[in-house]
Amino acid sequence: MADVEVVDPKKCLEESCKPKCVKPLLEYQACVKRIQDDESGHKHCTGQYFDYWQCVDKCVGPKLFAELK
Amino acid sequence: MVGGGVIQQILRRKLHSQSLATPFRSWFSSKTAHVDAGSSGVRAFALLGAGVTGLLSFSTVASADEAEHGLACPDYPWPHDGILSSYDHASIRRGHQVYQQVCASCHSMSLISYRDLVGVAYTEEEAKAMAAEIEVVDGPNDEGEMFTRPGKLSDRLPQPYANESAARFANGGAYPPDLSLITKARHNGQNYVFALLTGYRDPPAGISIREGLHYNPYFPGGAIAMPKMLNDEAVEYEDGVPATEAQMGKDVVSFLSWAAEPEMEERKLMGFKWIFLLSLALLQAAYYRRLKWSVLKSRKLVLDVVN
Repeated sequence: MADVEVVDPKKCLEESCKPKCVKPLLEYQACVKRIQDDESGHKHCTGQYFDYWQCVDKCVGPKLFAELK
Repeated sequence: MVGGGVIQQILRRKLHSQSLATPFRSWFSSKTAHVDAGSSGVRAFALLGAGVTGLLSFSTVASADEAEHGLACPDYPWPHDGILSSYDHASIRRGHQVYQQVCASCHSMSLISYRDLVGVAYTEEEAKAMAAEIEVVDGPNDEGEMFTRPGKLSDRLPQPYANESAARFANGGAYPPDLSLITKARHNGQNYVFALLTGYRDPPAGISIREGLHYNPYFPGGAIAMPKMLNDEAVEYEDGVPATEAQMGKDVVSFLSWAAEPEMEERKLMGFKWIFLLSLALLQAAYYRRLKWSVLKSRKLVLDVVN
């Protein structure tokens, strides 16, 4: 029992949901690139980050508990 | 605040359209882009355009509040969600184990007693044994002194700190809230707590969290004092279920849901029974009312007028 490596199903599902949420992910990556050279410290990509994770969460939500006891 | 701005825009638009002496209907028609002949229609449309850009600029300002409200948590299909669904008691038992080993060092649950766990997650003997492991201050004795004794079923779950100040001092000024009612004390509590516990991620680009706090998108503001506590295999379950982060999250939230709403199962049974019975009573009452009123409702009134 101890030598079986446990894989967290939530992380697994989040990875598998990535292809469904490519659009917000690309938006986020574009934002990261845009603010890369920002010196003021005021720019951030929370909006795009939230959009991406909201998409992933919506995808993972209904499926996760089927993987758990 | 955004709502106030929207109302202002609408009022301004209405005032303008009225002052142009166009009837109310043309305001609607200009909205559907049916431009009336003449300059008054074009002016109304231009004002509508100004209003829309005003609204849009409000929305970009409002999105700065996103982090303030926290990322909206998804809805998970909890096994106890249905109208006649009970708790998963095996999950409650595991969840209590997670609470005891992971959370109890900082979070109190001072409204739950050991006796509440009997028949829900543990047998009486198991609960008694668990209670006996803690030391409780009792007294005063016959000599007027307080003394410590091993715990009993009637004792509350132990508190990690003596008071709120001690708790804040030990946690960098932040108070780990009591968890007895936490799933009722937060909006969409069950889903929120699960999302929070399993949602620790790297912050987005441009966001830096100060030393001592941690990033969690679901927490309002994004910076939470609690570090990530659920890590794979932090706990070894008695029943051999693999203790992944998500599993522990589900179990501990089941436990917290029970702690906040122990009456849930009885409530659902009672609700189902009484809604059914009262529906029958409603049908009976409707029939009886119509029966009694039929005398009046089937009256014939004759107007006998001689002119």
